[in-house]
Amino acid sequence: MLLYALKRLGLALLVAAFVSVVAFLLLRLSGDAALAIAGEGARDEDIALVRRTYGLDRPLIVQYGDWLLRTLAGDLGQSLYFKTDVAALIADKLPVTFLIGSFSLLFALALSVPLGVLSAVYAGSWIDRLALALAVAGQALPNFFFALVLMMLFSITLRWLPVSGSDTWAHFVMPTIALGYYVTPPMMRLVRAGMVEVLGSDYIRTARAKGLSPASVVFKHGLRNALVPVVALAAVQLGYLLGGSIVIETIFALDGLGYLAYQSITHKDFPVTQAVLLLLALIYVLLTLVSDLLNAFLDPRMRVA
Amino acid sequence: MSDAVILPIETVTTKVGSPAARMAANPSVVTGLLLVGAVVAIALLAPLLAPHDPYAQDLTRRLIPPIWHDKGVWFNPLGTDNLGRDYLSRVLYGARISLLIGLSVMVISGLIGTALGLAAGYFGGRTDLVISFVITARLAMPVVLVALAVVAMIGGSLPVVILTLGLLKWDRFAVVMRSATQQVRSLDYVTAAEAAGASRSRIVLGEILPNVFPHLIVVATVEAGSAILLEAALSFLGLGVQPPLPSWGLMIAEAKNLMFFSFWLIAIPGTALALLVLGINLLGDGLRDVFAPDGRS
Amino acid sequence: MLNRSLLAAAILASVAAAPVQAAKKDNSVRFAYDQVLENIDPYFNNVRLGVIMSHAVWDTLIYRDPNSNEYKPGLATSWKWIDDRTLELELRQGVKFHNGEAFDADDVVYTLNFASDPANKATAQQNISWVEKAEKVEQYKVRIRTKRPFPAAIEYLAGPIPMHPNEYYATAGPKGMNEKPVGTGPYKVTEHVVGKVIRLEANKDYWASAPKPKATIERIEVRMIPDRQTQVAEMLSGGLDLIMNVPVEQAEQLKAAPHLAVTSGLTMRIVFILFNSGQNGPNDAIKDVRVRQAIAHSIDKVTMARQLVGEQARVIETICFPTQFGCTDEGARRYPYDPAKAKALLAEAGFKDGFDLEFLGYRERPQTEAMVNYMRAAGIRANLKFMQYAAMREQHRANKAAATHQTWGSFSINDVSAGPSAYFKGIDDDMIKDPEVIAQFEKGDTSVDPAVRKEAYKRGLQLVNERAYAVPLYALTTNYVSDKDLQFKAYPDELPRFWEMKWK
Repeated sequence: MLLYALKRLGLALLVAAFVSVVAFLLLRLSGDAALAIAGEGARDEDIALVRRTYGLDRPLIVQYGDWLLRTLAGDLGQSLYFKTDVAALIADKLPVTFLIGSFSLLFALALSVPLGVLSAVYAGSWIDRLALALAVAGQALPNFFFALVLMMLFSITLRWLPVSGSDTWAHFVMPTIALGYYVTPPMMRLVRAGMVEVLGSDYIRTARAKGLSPASVVFKHGLRNALVPVVALAAVQLGYLLGGSIVIETIFALDGLGYLAYQSITHKDFPVTQAVLLLLALIYVLLTLVSDLLNAFLDPRMRVA
Repeated sequence: MSDAVILPIETVTTKVGSPAARMAANPSVVTGLLLVGAVVAIALLAPLLAPHDPYAQDLTRRLIPPIWHDKGVWFNPLGTDNLGRDYLSRVLYGARISLLIGLSVMVISGLIGTALGLAAGYFGGRTDLVISFVITARLAMPVVLVALAVVAMIGGSLPVVILTLGLLKWDRFAVVMRSATQQVRSLDYVTAAEAAGASRSRIVLGEILPNVFPHLIVVATVEAGSAILLEAALSFLGLGVQPPLPSWGLMIAEAKNLMFFSFWLIAIPGTALALLVLGINLLGDGLRDVFAPDGRS
Repeated sequence: MLNRSLLAAAILASVAAAPVQAAKKDNSVRFAYDQVLENIDPYFNNVRLGVIMSHAVWDTLIYRDPNSNEYKPGLATSWKWIDDRTLELELRQGVKFHNGEAFDADDVVYTLNFASDPANKATAQQNISWVEKAEKVEQYKVRIRTKRPFPAAIEYLAGPIPMHPNEYYATAGPKGMNEKPVGTGPYKVTEHVVGKVIRLEANKDYWASAPKPKATIERIEVRMIPDRQTQVAEMLSGGLDLIMNVPVEQAEQLKAAPHLAVTSGLTMRIVFILFNSGQNGPNDAIKDVRVRQAIAHSIDKVTMARQLVGEQARVIETICFPTQFGCTDEGARRYPYDPAKAKALLAEAGFKDGFDLEFLGYRERPQTEAMVNYMRAAGIRANLKFMQYAAMREQHRANKAAATHQTWGSFSINDVSAGPSAYFKGIDDDMIKDPEVIAQFEKGDTSVDPAVRKEAYKRGLQLVNERAYAVPLYALTTNYVSDKDLQFKAYPDELPRFWEMKWK
């Protein structure tokens, strides 16, 4: 188990290093940042000055080494556009995104687990069919379109929810739904598949034979086992949620990481784009690491391996 | 690398009955085929069906509402957009863009992902280690963010969007093909072919590929649908294809400012987009059931 | 699908039932803008919201009356040129900054010398780089020395050059100024959350002799909301009191909402097509003057202005805003909409079957699309490439763009030196570098005699039209949508003046 954990950790670090190189190259090869920084009406000499002062005239490999060393030391540099510390900027925006991400995940779990269990227990029935239909339809709806429809309905027509901002819980309702509904279907399918499998296993048959109540069989014995893969998927989905938050944050004017990423991309603010990209990658790597270890721990078969 | 990051796949066992008969009996497949078929027909016949040139502007006839509205006119059954272009014609031609993107991205990412997955699954060992590493690294990068950054730097256009998405979205192909190949390669007929001295390429292409093909089809449909949605999202953020191309995502983006009083402007392309992706997803779903062992659905 | 009229009715009904606006009761205004202000220090941003904040929180040495365009005393009570390159200003006594610091020559000297020193990386260099140095003469008298003769200095001092408190600025710097801004203006900043919100409070001790009136509205909340439709949704649901730059078609629709008022105002931002017909230009067809003239004739700018900009739009015949010093279309060749002539000119130039043209744009995409459509109608195979401003300029300067849809706001500076000179004086954005044109604009920018300046600009503008280096189209309008009870005036400089606003 310890060896497995160490191996997994090593891989995670390697992936992070690889992603950092890709992220750096991808963004630096994309055009002249100095021009973007200098702004409308800037003269050539201003641009040359910007290039010198920001060190954009050095060879790429030097810039990468410099960036990597500083990043490792915890210094993410200065934002070219906001002219502030990147780390502070990200620390400022992360909570909002983290909140929507978690809310959406909870929303998805709250929907997918009961629906998945129900459709597994009543496999083939109308409940099963309805849940499946909802899942398929949900995944076909573009999230930006769905977000606009929600805004139209709940803010304009019904006036139940505030349009934009992040001051109260009410501000998070529509973003949570708009972001969370898309990850619900795959989770529901997984819960259902897991439940169908578990319910048909010898283990459950034994439990049933022992005369345990159906509810106890489903929840205590069935669900616990069926949830293992859902944990893994949830980790992957959180990565998707952070990516998807770009669109949703822009629409609902939530000042989070996603919107920061969008701004940094459109303003060629490399230090910020790079930092966000790396951060999201690290979050993903960390989550998969945790979920792998958790899986290994939860699943006795894996513990032996 | 552990399999935990990999989405679980359903194992393929020997099937009974002809696949065609099973497909015809599957409601998801039939509905999906009908929807996708309709969009394909619209895309192919767009020049015949469209009442006007989708690019022709008439600045004096802007924002005419659709026919069910009391101010609607039959000349423009779905009304006109902000530049006075016929909305019906644009929606019809838009089918071409979405299908083109879905298909091209599917082919590009499918080729990359399948090649990587087959190699990793068949050769195993060090090859598998390296490829698995690349897959994990790729999975760690958020697609939307990377695609946005790339398109922003090169400049949005149809080929750029297709290539970017194609080069990014091969992960699921690779993951699924790798596991499927691993399962198939230990089967008797593969070992038999190896023992008979068949060449590697012959084994991979002749024995393994046909056996993992059902998985490929299922992933391909899912990916086509997701590519279409991604293009729409990129275009919505202003970093996708360029106007005046009638991309459905772009049409929603152009009209979102007007949605409060002219909801049809986003509802029409939004519905078209949702129906197409729904059709593709239903098809993929149905095919999964058809290929899956009995009793799963 | 929802029926349009039903939906509109639902919106209007829900709006009518809305409770009395909270903002009106507590005498505040909630305003939103679609840009992010990266730094509120006016020398360290180059966005419009920065200009709006600059005039609300700070003051300038000279004041330009937005109604008459006359220069009036501001923080300086009088000024005079003592030679070609030296401006002497008498400063006002008794003015205090928001932090209590008294205003005097040290503030002016420090601010100007700090901002004009390239080492301090001021963002909008072009607004301040003409300053060589500022010197204190007495406690309330300064001299500003310019690098070259620069008659437009007065206009710059009345616009993008606000005064900072030297003691505070020396320790806080642009970073501290961003976190806790201090000026002399009619509003104080009480809170600035970068990228999210700026809160202002009326300056109760605003200096009495100021040309700007003391603010009536007590609190202003400026929210940064990137998406236009989100802003409109906030307006419809009563979450905001004022937004600006609303696209014309949306403004038209919002007129139907009973609690909102739509105000349109002409702005100084002009729209034109800029060609790169220089030696290294990327498109050979564009190097032929007849082709450029054909494009000029192919575009129906009158219809575009009316349909896509609005009733207030003003068609222009030369590439400057009519109120700018030196701007005139007298004797300049005109290019009315004439598709037949456009085709004839193309045929004459040997492009009877058209040619391929990449056309770049960065804002007001519907207008770019309309231009492309008109060019296509004349037989030119124009393709649109839409991008960020920085990327477009990069392409232009690298000789990769033959024709671009440009807009230019002259930084609201009412002088041609801030307008067409930027494109035709042989520097940076001038890819054509026509020596005759350069000579005229250079003369206009650096001569001290107003008559000489006017004549030079007139000739320069005539040459640009004659040689069709650019196609002047129209000046944009900006549409404001406000609560119908909010009183305010729209000015061509796109500056909402919070200190003049009132609730009815």
